[in-house]
Amino acid sequence: MKPPLRFALAAVVALLLGIVLPGRAEAQEASPEPSTAAALPARQANFAWDKTRLIASFSYRDAIDAPLTQKLSSGLPTIIAMRAYVMRQGEDTPVALAVQSCRVVFDLWEEVYRVTVTSRGGVRDQPVLNVEGVLRQCAEARDLPIADKSYLRAGTPHFLAVRVDINPVSKEMLDQMRTWVSRPTGSTGIGPSDALFGSFVGLFVRSIGSSDRTLRFRTQTVVP
Amino acid sequence: MRKLAMALALQVAAAAMTAATAHAQPVRTWGGERTPPEPSSDAPPAPTAPPAPPPPPPPTTVGTPVEGSTRPEPPPVPKPPASKGNDDPQHTAPAEPTTPTTEEEEEARSQAIVHTPGHIGLRYKLEGVEVQGNTTTLSRVVLRYVRFKAGDTLDVDDKELSVTRFRLLGTGFFRDVQLSLRRGSRRGYAVLVVSVVERNTIVVNDIWLGLSADAEPDGRARPLTAYGGLDVSERNLAGTGITLGGAMALADRQLALRTRFSDPQFRGTPWMANVELLYNNAKDFFGNRDALVDDPQADVRQDFAVAAYRRFGGSVGVGHDLGTTTQLFLDYRFEKIDANLPRAASHVRGRDVEPIDFHIHGGSSLISTLRATMVHDTRDEPFLPTRGTHMALLSELSLSPLGTDYPYAKVQVRASHWFPLSWGHVLRLEGFAGSIFGDAPLFERFYVGDFTDLLPDRVLDLNFDRRAAPNFLDTSIQEVRYGTYAAKVNVEYRIPLYRGTRSIYGIDLFGSFGIYGLTDDLNLRQPPSGYSGFSKVPIDLTFNAGLRIETNVGGFAFGIANLVGFIPVRSEGN
Repeated sequence: MKPPLRFALAAVVALLLGIVLPGRAEAQEASPEPSTAAALPARQANFAWDKTRLIASFSYRDAIDAPLTQKLSSGLPTIIAMRAYVMRQGEDTPVALAVQSCRVVFDLWEEVYRVTVTSRGGVRDQPVLNVEGVLRQCAEARDLPIADKSYLRAGTPHFLAVRVDINPVSKEMLDQMRTWVSRPTGSTGIGPSDALFGSFVGLFVRSIGSSDRTLRFRTQTVVP
Repeated sequence: MRKLAMALALQVAAAAMTAATAHAQPVRTWGGERTPPEPSSDAPPAPTAPPAPPPPPPPTTVGTPVEGSTRPEPPPVPKPPASKGNDDPQHTAPAEPTTPTTEEEEEARSQAIVHTPGHIGLRYKLEGVEVQGNTTTLSRVVLRYVRFKAGDTLDVDDKELSVTRFRLLGTGFFRDVQLSLRRGSRRGYAVLVVSVVERNTIVVNDIWLGLSADAEPDGRARPLTAYGGLDVSERNLAGTGITLGGAMALADRQLALRTRFSDPQFRGTPWMANVELLYNNAKDFFGNRDALVDDPQADVRQDFAVAAYRRFGGSVGVGHDLGTTTQLFLDYRFEKIDANLPRAASHVRGRDVEPIDFHIHGGSSLISTLRATMVHDTRDEPFLPTRGTHMALLSELSLSPLGTDYPYAKVQVRASHWFPLSWGHVLRLEGFAGSIFGDAPLFERFYVGDFTDLLPDRVLDLNFDRRAAPNFLDTSIQEVRYGTYAAKVNVEYRIPLYRGTRSIYGIDLFGSFGIYGLTDDLNLRQPPSGYSGFSKVPIDLTFNAGLRIETNVGGFAFGIANLVGFIPVRSEGN
């Protein structure tokens, strides 16, 4: 084989290895994403019956990590949106949904967190003095009404599949953002050669995602 | 055997690293989306800590606990008001109301809190905007993307705050951008703080690798030669936000170089400015069959007539947004061309021997053009879009008053639309139409290899391949190498195979099929002899299949068409 050809072959092999191997290695490192609600990581919840209504208490304080805790004091609003889907064991379609959202904004001059909690029970505003209070109001579900007994099948185990989004981004905003990164500034090429650049900036679409942070878990089962 | 193995290896890697298509992903409630923020490629790897146990649930306080639940806690004891000695010194009790010192402060305070049902909004007078964390990027470059200014009334719920963050992230200069407020110097006033984390801004725009069949300078055909190229940009030159880019393409006795500057906000205006320099040392291959070339050394029958030429010049241009999805660019280009052509050459077109038109003037010539390009882009993603439209409309004018030796006008439009299918796959429809009027040089004409996937595309205007179109339909397309009228319709179907958030973002299997036509005035006026009926129409089919892979260094397309193109169909050997 002529030296230039050997060099070309080596370069191609190196390029392929460079592209494929790191990806494979990282793919192995990454934990597999659960494909069903039942496969989500489990955590304990407290269930109770309030007459015929199932109520639940659980915590998702770990959705607020250190950077987000710091962000709570940024003076700009933080939204913590929680959705709890009632799932029957062995099925993938939820039978009921309970939601609770919380908006927190730190008042720079009054030095309080102004918290607005929205749930099925209505909307309540209150000032909160510190982060612990914010977590108590916004990162815990306390006696959250889940579903009436009539929605649940007697004798069948049910569980909650919970999704918590911090600062969820609206679909309109996501669309606008993706449009920006799809168009490389200054590209006059009429061909599709902007793809590599677009992919580079597309990184941000993915790293931003649809929220600042998402937490998913399931609870233990409860049998009506 | 060795050659074949090497050819296969090269081919797999090569196959036009051009951009393109889609991805599709059903909306999933569980899985498929990232949880922790992804570490950037230039960020240090995050330490792997064991996952903390989930927090215990708060006890239920009403109703009858279900088995396995903790018992209700006793009624909470009223707590004393928080004091300054709280755990978190930053979060203390409300400050004592202070007496406004001026009417302005009183006004600022009075409008600081807005109560509406179910919502409390906060407003501040903006004292200024502060940029933090930028070590390379100039603050004024960051501030270009911030629409707030001192003196504005800032509503903390203003959507422009989120837009500003995403706009800054969209520049590609930063790995992270956070906005926050801090107290101003007077009550009711606040300072907007923009905190950025910079990232590497060197971008690989394009990589080309491939195999072609070309010819020696004396016209003898060669089976295989390799070609390659690279297009790289620094998008934030010395922190100024200016792009400095360079591209190079290389093949046997061919070289193309490009250097370009681009300022997305020229002198702080909403206009983009571009400057580009180009150099091409190129050759091209002519002659359908039985080429006869008037060579200074000897008149011999050759496989091909070879035109060698050099181009040197550049362009300047401006661009402007016409909305959130549309941009307009205007460019002026000036080049000097030095061509070395055979004194005369002929070939067989149809059944007739005809002189070869090289579509370029021998010796020195000039070209200068004015070009307008409008781009409309609503794709949801750049490389693997699932929906949206990308349309580019180009018109170019090169007339004698501009000092050109090639008077011509060119118009072309390319449009693609992506359709998400309900079962998660993606369909793309693509159309192209173009027309050239006048005497355009060969590198401005439509080249058959740019329309069929079975021949290498031109790279930086270099043409690497001597072969005619494959000619599946047995038409006169094999008589056309360069044309002035072109059209193509293409359909692509994509099946997502993998979605990830680390090095590899997505892998899609694709298959495409298209039909194209290419002709010029000569073929319209005087069709090549020997063709009749449908075969007189210079059209043909094209297809491709392979993988599109989107990674954190860019997108790659691995297709089989280029390899299939080396299998002789009808045109080879005719």
